[in-house]
Amino acid sequence: MMKLISSLKLHKRFILTLLLLAVFLWSLTSIHWNRELFHAGGIPTMLQIFEGLIQPNLAPSILLAGLESAWITLAYAVAGMSLAIVYAFIVGVLASGTLTTSKFSRFISKVFFRGILGFTRSIHELIWAWLFVAAVGLSPYAAILALAIPYGGILGRIFADMLNDVPVEPIIALKAAGSSRLQTLVYGFLPLVWADFISYTMYRFECAIRSSAIMSFVGLGGLGFQIQLALSDLKYDAVWTFVFFLIALVILVDGWSHLVRKGLTDHKRKSVFASGWMSVLFATLLIMGSWMYITYGENARLYELFSEKNMEYAKKFFGGLLGINQENPAFLDGESWANALKLTLETLEMSIMAIGFSTIVAFITVIPAARNIANGNLTLKKRWYNWPLFAFIRLLYIFSRSVPELVWAMMIIFIFKPGILPGALALALHNFGILGKLWAEVVEDMDPRPIRNLAASGASKIEILFYGILPIVLPRFLTYILYRWEVIMRTTIVVGFVGAGGLGMDFKLAMSYFNYTQITLLLLCYMILVLIADFASETTRKAVK
Amino acid sequence: MKKWLTGIILFMLVFSLAACGQTEDKANGEKEGNKQSKSEEVFKIGAIPDQNAAFLQSGMEAVAKQLSEETGMKVEFVPSVDYSALVTGFQRGEIHLAWFGGLTSVQARNLVPDSESIVQRPRDAEFKSVFITQEGSGINTLADLKGKSFTFGSESSTSGHLMPRYFLNEEGIDPNTDFNGKPNFSGSHDTTYKLIESGSFQAGALNISVWEAAVKEGKVDTSKVKVFYTTPDYYDYNWTINSNVEEVFGGDAKQKVKDSLLSMPGNSKEIADLFQTDKFIETKNDNYEKIEKVAKELEIIK
Repeated sequence: MMKLISSLKLHKRFILTLLLLAVFLWSLTSIHWNRELFHAGGIPTMLQIFEGLIQPNLAPSILLAGLESAWITLAYAVAGMSLAIVYAFIVGVLASGTLTTSKFSRFISKVFFRGILGFTRSIHELIWAWLFVAAVGLSPYAAILALAIPYGGILGRIFADMLNDVPVEPIIALKAAGSSRLQTLVYGFLPLVWADFISYTMYRFECAIRSSAIMSFVGLGGLGFQIQLALSDLKYDAVWTFVFFLIALVILVDGWSHLVRKGLTDHKRKSVFASGWMSVLFATLLIMGSWMYITYGENARLYELFSEKNMEYAKKFFGGLLGINQENPAFLDGESWANALKLTLETLEMSIMAIGFSTIVAFITVIPAARNIANGNLTLKKRWYNWPLFAFIRLLYIFSRSVPELVWAMMIIFIFKPGILPGALALALHNFGILGKLWAEVVEDMDPRPIRNLAASGASKIEILFYGILPIVLPRFLTYILYRWEVIMRTTIVVGFVGAGGLGMDFKLAMSYFNYTQITLLLLCYMILVLIADFASETTRKAVK
Repeated sequence: MKKWLTGIILFMLVFSLAACGQTEDKANGEKEGNKQSKSEEVFKIGAIPDQNAAFLQSGMEAVAKQLSEETGMKVEFVPSVDYSALVTGFQRGEIHLAWFGGLTSVQARNLVPDSESIVQRPRDAEFKSVFITQEGSGINTLADLKGKSFTFGSESSTSGHLMPRYFLNEEGIDPNTDFNGKPNFSGSHDTTYKLIESGSFQAGALNISVWEAAVKEGKVDTSKVKVFYTTPDYYDYNWTINSNVEEVFGGDAKQKVKDSLLSMPGNSKEIADLFQTDKFIETKNDNYEKIEKVAKELEIIK
């Protein structure tokens, strides 16, 4: 009986893999594959961009601008994340239902607040930024709130999940001792989840830096703004200088977050205490510095957002989205729907192609990128090229994931013709690094004994990969693929802004033409796509388990 | 020990934030009054970012300086990243005077009904676009563009998108289907000729005035890029003044601004360079009816 179930499971995975492969192949058919995909000057432009990569512009004025914009990017990210934490904390507690007494009210509060968290995180931060700028004008707060809302949504959900997963015994003990709801929360729940919450927040902080960099697209300063300016003047050497600043910033934050997470999860190390205090101090300074800069340096006040005038414009803007006083709003028009659905399908194909490409590249590179293979522990074989190859691929991963999709798209659009292929490639370029890193960690964490056995009995590298490593790691690989696909789905609309096809391109045009009801229609289609992606990915992930 | 420590980290994060929030609220109460009147005193001008950003900045700052000297108001130039951002700022009353293209001025006046197009250059009454291609590309007429790759400027540009699209349509070419792939939107006129020069696209359309300036200043290599078609005349760029100006700056502010604009460029080289003109003339809203009609036909405005 057990055997039957396990063999069924094995088949299920196999069938699922085939199915996913088929979907990927289907998405490829949407493009006519030939030389025509490059436009006439695509290759020369690619060479020019590459030349800039090797010789970035290191003029003092550019470096100074890079430093200043890097600070703005960091300040917005810090400010946005600190608001996100507050939002996640409050709504997360409410969504976990730990404060409610009766079963019924717990259910209601769970559904309602989880719904809010779900909605806020389903929309990409750049879309939020665009909506905020249209509603409240160009203010750093448009960027900060646009960051805080989706990140708060993600953090809040994780926080609520953590609160729901705490072991019941300490809570029962507290209750038995007569503590109130609030007391149980403060003395029972929170101490149990703090460490995990902070470590997840630090992990998200790195993503927030990249998001903050692309916020400048709506007209706010920062590294993305400089990249955009340099690209519009076709100064590729300066573009790369700013990209390197962004990469450096991401690496620094990544390093710090790694340190904090290690300190929180490592019980035994003594130095934890000292480095923990340093981090607290540093975080406090960073948060205060960022808010001071935004409040005084940029002279922006939060309360200005809620002026009567802004409320008036916000009302007008949202009224426009709802099509008030408009004859024939786009979302009630059959032809507009047909057109938008076509774009929706295109966007879906783009996302599948993107995850397909990144899977292929990550698959080819992941084995040498794992530490336990590089040092020969897993396969019992040491080769001189293991470490250089490991370092090279890991650097490639960092490079790939540090550059936001939007920036990749802005460059790729000069090489390929506008359409969904450049969009898919930009998304793939950004995501293969993430996928590769996550996968490499899976390989590093696996049980080495079966592999060593295989290696000891003389299996070749390829054999070890297919008979030893893959069967063990495949389910987790699949989980990560599906998870990244959800993220890609949310981002497809963003790469479209720069002409990379799909819903995003029309969204940008509708924004330029102040065609508000069309924006509503495109947002509806986008939400439908995100929901479908979340649902499909969740059911598939469950099936893999 | 570990839990205790993480607790502190979290509380520090939350409380340092809460502290910031409080000081902001206090500042709010004290400063609201004088801040409001102070911000109202600044007359803000903007320009569509259709050219190199640094060049636009220096020219527009010269305009701000001259306006300030002649009207006695405090004038500030506010840069914007794209055309629609400027129109939105104008709609919100945050930009009081803007140098718009024909299409953006029509969009802005639709959104702010009592605003007015007041001043233009002589050449704006008979503006043209040029279609350019690489030397030796074999493209000599608009009809030759079928099946070639093509780039417009910004999607909100009159001379870089709207009118070129209109004249292509007249020639029986549908830009959405007849090119090699969909057309690209480069974002600015300077980018357009650079993309043709570098060979990224086979042909493109841009503003004649930016093109002539680029040729004169040697910014474009004319041995590589050539003009193969120049469009008929149409009305384009103008200074559009917001409807809230008289209310905020006093009844004679509008006339003073208009007089000052008409006296430009004076002896300012920056202004003359940016606008490529030696004088400004009056204009009126009616001059842009044709642009509005074309934009409606092409379903760019409703």
